[in-house]
Amino acid sequence: MFTIDISPYLDNVGATTAGRTATGRLNVWNNSFAAENLPPGGSNVMVGGVPYVMPPFGGIDPDNIRCAGQYLELPGPGRAVDWLHLLATGERRVEDEIAVHFADGSVDFEPVRVSDFWAAPAAFGEVPAFETLMHYPAHTQFGVPASVWSQRVPVTRRLPLIGIGLPVNAALHVFAVTLQPPDGTRRPAAVSTAGTAPSTGAATSTAGEAQPAVPSTAGAR
Amino acid sequence: MTTTAAPAGTPAVRPRQARRAPSTFYRDPISCLQASFGSVVADAGHDPLAALGARWEFRYIPGDVRSEEFYFPEREPGDTAGSMMPYHPAHSTWFTPETAEPLEELAALIENGLAPIAAVDNYHLPFRPAYHDVHAAHLVLIYGVDPGRGLVWVADPMPPAFSGPIRAEDFLNAWGSANPADHQDAFFSDARIDRRHMLLRLGADWPADDPATLLAALRANHADLTADAHDDGQWTGVAGLRRFVEHVTRSAHAGDDDALKQVYTFGWSQQAGCSLHGELLRTRGRQWRCPALREAGRAVEAAAHAWTGLRVTAAHGWTRPAETTADLRRHGDRLAQRYETAASALTRAVTELT
Repeated sequence: MFTIDISPYLDNVGATTAGRTATGRLNVWNNSFAAENLPPGGSNVMVGGVPYVMPPFGGIDPDNIRCAGQYLELPGPGRAVDWLHLLATGERRVEDEIAVHFADGSVDFEPVRVSDFWAAPAAFGEVPAFETLMHYPAHTQFGVPASVWSQRVPVTRRLPLIGIGLPVNAALHVFAVTLQPPDGTRRPAAVSTAGTAPSTGAATSTAGEAQPAVPSTAGAR
Repeated sequence: MTTTAAPAGTPAVRPRQARRAPSTFYRDPISCLQASFGSVVADAGHDPLAALGARWEFRYIPGDVRSEEFYFPEREPGDTAGSMMPYHPAHSTWFTPETAEPLEELAALIENGLAPIAAVDNYHLPFRPAYHDVHAAHLVLIYGVDPGRGLVWVADPMPPAFSGPIRAEDFLNAWGSANPADHQDAFFSDARIDRRHMLLRLGADWPADDPATLLAALRANHADLTADAHDDGQWTGVAGLRRFVEHVTRSAHAGDDDALKQVYTFGWSQQAGCSLHGELLRTRGRQWRCPALREAGRAVEAAAHAWTGLRVTAAHGWTRPAETTADLRRHGDRLAQRYETAASALTRAVTELT
């Protein structure tokens, strides 16, 4: 699998520390995840067998993309992909479409379904990645779990993938993206259990570099 | 909404409590309104999903939206429950106290086996995340009053899901709050609470939870959803939804921030009902081995989820309405398309279920 560097597109603060919860902007009430319950920025984390690179969860720098039609252009001639994996969450349940762009100019719209972050189950069969305390602008809150999900999006066309068009949907937040190539070209990730599980979710820290990070080309459509 | 003076209770300084705490009914797409009604329905021994999910409609009443989490556009004015559950013997009425002992009035109701649903301002409730932070109109169930110890038993199915006693002083502050305008919550503040409470009354002739009963509901829902546009002061069906989307986008283009604020509030009533109906069809489709019913349920749920884009876009964009016009149009059109798709799926389900 190949992780994607989405750092040029991060534009929203979804996690905050207990000392500065007021900077959170995950939803209209400025709720946020508890950064203390999330892995450190830049670390590799496995969620349900999918590796992700963590964004900077610190409450200062943006840590997610609020979807507004950003186009994530992949470098080079493209690569065959079976699945897009998203570390994401929704401001309420989100059911939208991602545009999948191929080297020959064809484009497919594939469903992206992500559950609510606010005290909700996985409505679309996602893997729970992290569950943290809920941060409010002026306090931290027990009893209202905040969830990040690992969701997958199919790529059905057997052509090299060159780009991903995110939907125009302010309710969808993307924290990390990983591409899964067809089985024949899949490279197993080197998982280590040496790290500490970052949350009550299904995530596992990895100690080594499991896969190369693929930079995406900055630019929005 | 209309209110009626409650019958005076007999003042008595003694505790009155229900025999048990109310049940908890919760789904993430619903509001305190469906949660409160669902809890009462469950305590009466019925399935809340069957009652709250039977009706699926679109209804917008221009000029009627109030900035309360529990706002609902009523087909039967003053009867929120009858409007939400028209296929079941369920009716509700709002009351305001008529004596100087409002807690005694609630206590008398509890003593008579009723569960008053009180409107409150979250700002004054210690168990709500908004406590001493944000003003917002909300509903809770009241199931006990102890004047001697100055306690009121409150149940709130919405996360963080509280059930237990709080100080009567806190409850009275929440119940009597002016719920002033709060810049932190433009959607559920600025609506006086006025010590209102609602009683949900359920009849004995509760319909069966079977294919024939649901089939009748589906036929009625479909007829209303696909009816031609008409103008009787309410915008209904898919035609009404199309008109609503046009109204929202035109308002945004004209810079009408109030219209956008109302989208989030109003949309919750529609998203919640849509989601419960979809879940009902899906679960009964599995129970009754009816694939078309399951698919119709999922199509209705997809319509429910399309409310998210419209509501959240309006909520984030109400301070700069004109900039959101194109996005609101896109989400609104998708919402209407999903209603149409779901209505078609209902047709197939009706055929298979017949």
